[in-house]
Amino acid sequence: MWFAGRIVSSLAVLAAVSVVLFALTRLTPLSPARIVLGADATAEQIQAFEHDRGLDRSLPAQYSAWVAQLPRSGFGQSYITGRSIDLELLESLPVTVELVAVTFLLTLAGAVPLGLIAALTEDRWPDHLIRMLSLMAVSVPGFWLALILIRVFAVKLGWVPPIGITPLAEGWYAHFTSLVLPALSIALYYIGALSRLMRAAVIEVLGQDYVRTARSLGLSRGLVARYVVKNALPPFVSVAGMSFGYMFGWAIIIELVFNLPGLSRALLTAITQRDYPMIQATVLVVTAMFIVSNLVADLIQRLLNPRLRHA
Amino acid sequence: MLDVVRSTDAASAAEASRARRPRPLSGLAGLVRRLAGTRIGLVGLVIVGLLSLAALSAPWLPLHDPLDLMMEHRLEPPGASFLLGTDEMGRDIFARLVWGARGSLMIGVLTVAIGLSGGLFVGTLSGYYSGTLVESVLLGLMDIFAAIPLLVWAIAIVGIFGTGPVQLGPLLLPNEAKIILLVGLLFIPGLARVAHGLALAEAKADYVAARRLQGAGAWSIMTSDILPNILSPIFVQVSVLIGIGIIIEASLSFIGLGVQPPTPSWGGMLADARSLAFSDEWWVATWPGLAIFLAVIGFNLLGDALRTVLDPRRRDGGPAL
Repeated sequence: MWFAGRIVSSLAVLAAVSVVLFALTRLTPLSPARIVLGADATAEQIQAFEHDRGLDRSLPAQYSAWVAQLPRSGFGQSYITGRSIDLELLESLPVTVELVAVTFLLTLAGAVPLGLIAALTEDRWPDHLIRMLSLMAVSVPGFWLALILIRVFAVKLGWVPPIGITPLAEGWYAHFTSLVLPALSIALYYIGALSRLMRAAVIEVLGQDYVRTARSLGLSRGLVARYVVKNALPPFVSVAGMSFGYMFGWAIIIELVFNLPGLSRALLTAITQRDYPMIQATVLVVTAMFIVSNLVADLIQRLLNPRLRHA
Repeated sequence: MLDVVRSTDAASAAEASRARRPRPLSGLAGLVRRLAGTRIGLVGLVIVGLLSLAALSAPWLPLHDPLDLMMEHRLEPPGASFLLGTDEMGRDIFARLVWGARGSLMIGVLTVAIGLSGGLFVGTLSGYYSGTLVESVLLGLMDIFAAIPLLVWAIAIVGIFGTGPVQLGPLLLPNEAKIILLVGLLFIPGLARVAHGLALAEAKADYVAARRLQGAGAWSIMTSDILPNILSPIFVQVSVLIGIGIIIEASLSFIGLGVQPPTPSWGGMLADARSLAFSDEWWVATWPGLAIFLAVIGFNLLGDALRTVLDPRRRDGGPAL
């Protein structure tokens, strides 16, 4: 029941966001007709173009027409390239999703243990070291890190290809290593931010009465650790889910540096070509990913925390 | 300000002695002194202070012209004549870094100023009118805003409206104005949510009820009672958000949608350095990156210190980006 309500509200938010996005792409200073037909086009030609594509109708009418065609023909065609926007997204989205997924796994693999170690050694040197490193990690701009990583690991050491993505056909290992540098460029910031969060969550649980009781009863360290992690996870999960959504934004910048054929190329090309329907579709897809990842995080958080389930 | 020291009557003397003791938050000077008392706060203050000083005094510093293309000196390594070397077009990197600091700091501070005023306004209003239509409309609006991945929308909106200047009445605003407004707007929901929670608690407090009985109006209660009381936990976030604003500006400039060349910006300098990623001229890409890193870590250190000083019980937040 809770989940149904959450889905409905997510859909409502997505619908509202799509209205905002639609309005923004229609409020542009330059008419798409002018972009496609060029500066020499006559007023009649412009009018005919706008009439054919319904651009001369009112904003609400245009929006409802756009929504009506979504289930039938998806996002339709780009004015500029004439290509199907859906096809374009089907080609580029998987690249970005894979990059973000690898980034997310790297982030968890780094942030969870580091946060745990810092919390368990609170105010001793490992804690101080980890906190200092995480503070530095959240201050490094990802695209600069990307340039450094390329220089060190690809150019100087030659361990990985500097740019591009090795196709899966050339083997798992080669494919994965070509994703490591871009993923690391995005992940470092989140490893820093999420390890701090994990540390704080674990320290809070460690201070609870039930942990003290468990310890004083002489329960094994392993068992106590299980209680602690289980109770520290819910706040961590919700922020991790949000981070998963945010990572798509950084992917746009980092993919550019590594020349990956993902959403970044689709969006930035659309921007230089002033291909508004394409910009609109790309941003809508990323926003939908963001909303869905928040939804999934909420769901997991509820499964982990029975108290929330009965609230 | 009341000149308490020179007053002679007993009440004022008592007040004066109270004023001499350290109060929890006695203006900006007191806050700075308490920040400098913590180690991270001191380092943060020094970094942010030096950067701001350099940015403000850029026109009067003995620097090369940051726009001067000295083609005969292109790609010179760091040395006596060019402290940090020159770039591919023979421009002095140090001068460009100092001038670039102006844009970065200004955009960082102004975006947060917009986010802060919007967030406080929405948060206080919705917290005070909790349980009414005002609250549900404002919070619903914030939910929509919060469902927006900040960076992608900033890229897309600048992309849609173009990087050219905007005519606003008699003012011709550069692309920076667009970025400030955009990122500032996108900062609002996060701050509004925190402010709402705090204002909600304050609005239920006895002193607010007492003020209402005295006949104080809603606006007066909100501005002179609730707002000052929720300010410090909100203020804790300001420094960290400035750092995030700086990173966003640098990222946008890096992909060509931020500060437009030839105006020097750290992100733009890194974009120019991209073509040199494989060559031996390490300095071109090193310094602007270090500058961003230094600025952001300065604001993050200051943010940590602010949290320690103003709001020690609150735990670390997650990433805001």
